[in-house]
Amino acid sequence: MNVRDLSLYYEDKAEPVLRDVSFSVNEKETVLLLGASGSGKSTLTHCLTGLYPRELDGTMEGEVTFHHKPVAKAMPGAISRSVGIVFQDPETQFCMLSVEDEVAFGLENLEVEPDVMEEKIQKALKDVGLLEKRKEKITSLSGGEKQKLALACILAMDPPLIVLDEPTANLDPLATENFVALLEPLKEERGLSLFIIEHDLDPWVSITDRILMLGREGRIFYDGPLREGLETYADTLQQDGIAMPRASRWALQSGVVVSPLPLTVEELKGRPPAPEPRERGRREKEAPLIHAEDLSWKNVLQQVDVSIPEGSFTAVVGPNGSGKTTVCRLLAGIIKPSSGKVGDPFGKKERFSRIGYVFQNPEHQFLTDSVWEEVAYGGADKRQVKEMLEWCGLSDHAKLHPFLLSQGQKRRLSVATMLVNDQDVLFLDEPTFGQDAESTEHLMELIAEKHRAGTTIVMITHDMELIDTYATHVIAMKKGEVAFTGSPEELWNEEVTSLHLKRPLRVQMKEAVYVPQ
Amino acid sequence: MYLNNLNPSVKALTILGLVLVLALLFDPVTPFLFTVSTILLTFVFGTFRKKHYLLYLLPFTIFAFGMLWTTIAFADAPADPGDTMTLLLWEVPREDVMVAFSLFFRILAFATLSLLFVFTTNMVEFLLSLMQQLRLPPKLAYGVLAGYRFLPMLKTEFGQIQAAHRVRGLGQESGWKRYRRFAVPLLAGAIRKAERTAVAMESKGFTGSRERTFYRNLTVRKKDWLFPVGMGLLLGFFLILSIHFGYFSWYQGQL
Repeated sequence: MNVRDLSLYYEDKAEPVLRDVSFSVNEKETVLLLGASGSGKSTLTHCLTGLYPRELDGTMEGEVTFHHKPVAKAMPGAISRSVGIVFQDPETQFCMLSVEDEVAFGLENLEVEPDVMEEKIQKALKDVGLLEKRKEKITSLSGGEKQKLALACILAMDPPLIVLDEPTANLDPLATENFVALLEPLKEERGLSLFIIEHDLDPWVSITDRILMLGREGRIFYDGPLREGLETYADTLQQDGIAMPRASRWALQSGVVVSPLPLTVEELKGRPPAPEPRERGRREKEAPLIHAEDLSWKNVLQQVDVSIPEGSFTAVVGPNGSGKTTVCRLLAGIIKPSSGKVGDPFGKKERFSRIGYVFQNPEHQFLTDSVWEEVAYGGADKRQVKEMLEWCGLSDHAKLHPFLLSQGQKRRLSVATMLVNDQDVLFLDEPTFGQDAESTEHLMELIAEKHRAGTTIVMITHDMELIDTYATHVIAMKKGEVAFTGSPEELWNEEVTSLHLKRPLRVQMKEAVYVPQ
Repeated sequence: MYLNNLNPSVKALTILGLVLVLALLFDPVTPFLFTVSTILLTFVFGTFRKKHYLLYLLPFTIFAFGMLWTTIAFADAPADPGDTMTLLLWEVPREDVMVAFSLFFRILAFATLSLLFVFTTNMVEFLLSLMQQLRLPPKLAYGVLAGYRFLPMLKTEFGQIQAAHRVRGLGQESGWKRYRRFAVPLLAGAIRKAERTAVAMESKGFTGSRERTFYRNLTVRKKDWLFPVGMGLLLGFFLILSIHFGYFSWYQGQL
């Protein structure tokens, strides 16, 4: 695949989304495109598949060719023989009800004969490890399995190039690892080329041959091997909010190892002294603020006891579907338990002026037509609103409709609306989900600041680094039960893989020191 | 089991035909006998959750009873007021009772026929069969399928928005205004989802054209013809009975 001088303008924007983008993906090569959110990554995907310029409101210059044939001139549908895509959202990329029908759908479109189909479906499902589930409904699969199914659909159609558009963004760390581990042998066996679009490098380090970096203004500023790229452009990446591998970031920050830059924990191991845990200034009080006993909810939760210590920064962790969100909603009083009791420290009337809850999708919570009104909705006065907007960096957008903000801004706005009345407890449901490194950092600083000021924070997250840095208390969920409660330090000493978790970098480095190889 | 394996297009067309014929008749006996035999056939030759069937039949029954009662209570003046009969200690013109029961069983006959179809037909197979036997454009059929997958998603999303708004201290407002506030995020979400699904389908080579093969081929076999023929004969037999005993009449706009 070859992309030459690609520029793309949307009708309603003066600035182009992509500027003179040129690159190529060679046969059997794995290329990773790294870009901050809003740098035009998804736009580029649409260009690769020929959806643009056909469905574009705007203009596109330049050319995308596959085996020297321009993609844009191919018949609609024909390009799917050459390029397959796995999308980010596991919910919206299927149109059939059962697993095997979905795999067959692509083959049917290619007019494959039914008797050949069976074999292809079997092989594809076997390759991703879903053969036993071929008759099952897609809705019964977990997020990770859905992404594997999406991959199987593409594999069955046997295109030489597969584009993966942030395929693991919605998965928990272990599912992510499984998914990537699946790709490696497949790539070898089938001689595939992969084009991966990501903002989180970590899981992909080992299978990437070459890396492209896409800047905020839509220009590719680096094309080459990963390590050199990181060494040269570390500052730019940081400014653009692109996440580097954790090991590299740590090495750069501490200045211990600069060249060659380590990419994985293994490369770091044994070399630098492991850092000490960060001092968490404020210790939580012993007294629980919210306490719940014998909590059950439908068939999601079974007789769970949880308590949130006052003044704590509590992290709720566990695999997708383990009941994290349900527990938090019960504790916050948003839903009522099927049985059991939840303590209610503020009384029914005061509850939602003392408890804030930030939902996974911030759009769900917006009620008004402008950012300013949104913050003012709870009855805050002008001064408070102004301070709040300044605090979360949204002063310039006060008049905008909340839906028009960027993902990071939406998230900050939803946090701001929940804090404007100086709430005592703030629940956050995966607040860093789908955010690039910069917005994550910005947001976490805001939350940590509130925590230091005395707000109790309860946060659902998959990010072990965040827990290591900020949390004072961890609740680990597993299959509707609480599998662990205690401090992060205690958690790292547990058998974490059984909880679908991974130890953070700092602890992994320490292991290297303790366990000599 | 026979009903579940039946070709869905044949089944749908047969039921459509039966409903049309039943709509032309207006006597209490034919639809009564037909309703009873439809229920029997459904239970004997179909596999499904029996409890759900009864649950679904209930609203139709209640509706039918409502019609029965209003027709008797608010009937037009009968042609022969002298001809009365006793119904639950209550003297009513025989003609009104006939009209009422005709309506009652008419509704039930339609309902049981529809339920027979709904409970023994797989949605995906029905759409596949519509494409393969009745030449329904794939664009439409797969659109319907994709939309069908959306319903539960919209339901969860609605619940989430509701909860999210409650946290913001909403809930005292009047119903209409509250639902208006739900509409924006719900629609925005739905449009985005629909677009994503469309792009994903297209990236798998879907163009909506009729040139495609099918993994599951549904054909019309000999035994599929048994259903329309059998049902037709049954209806014919009941008709003859009804004519024989002098109940039969065409539908002439009675209510």
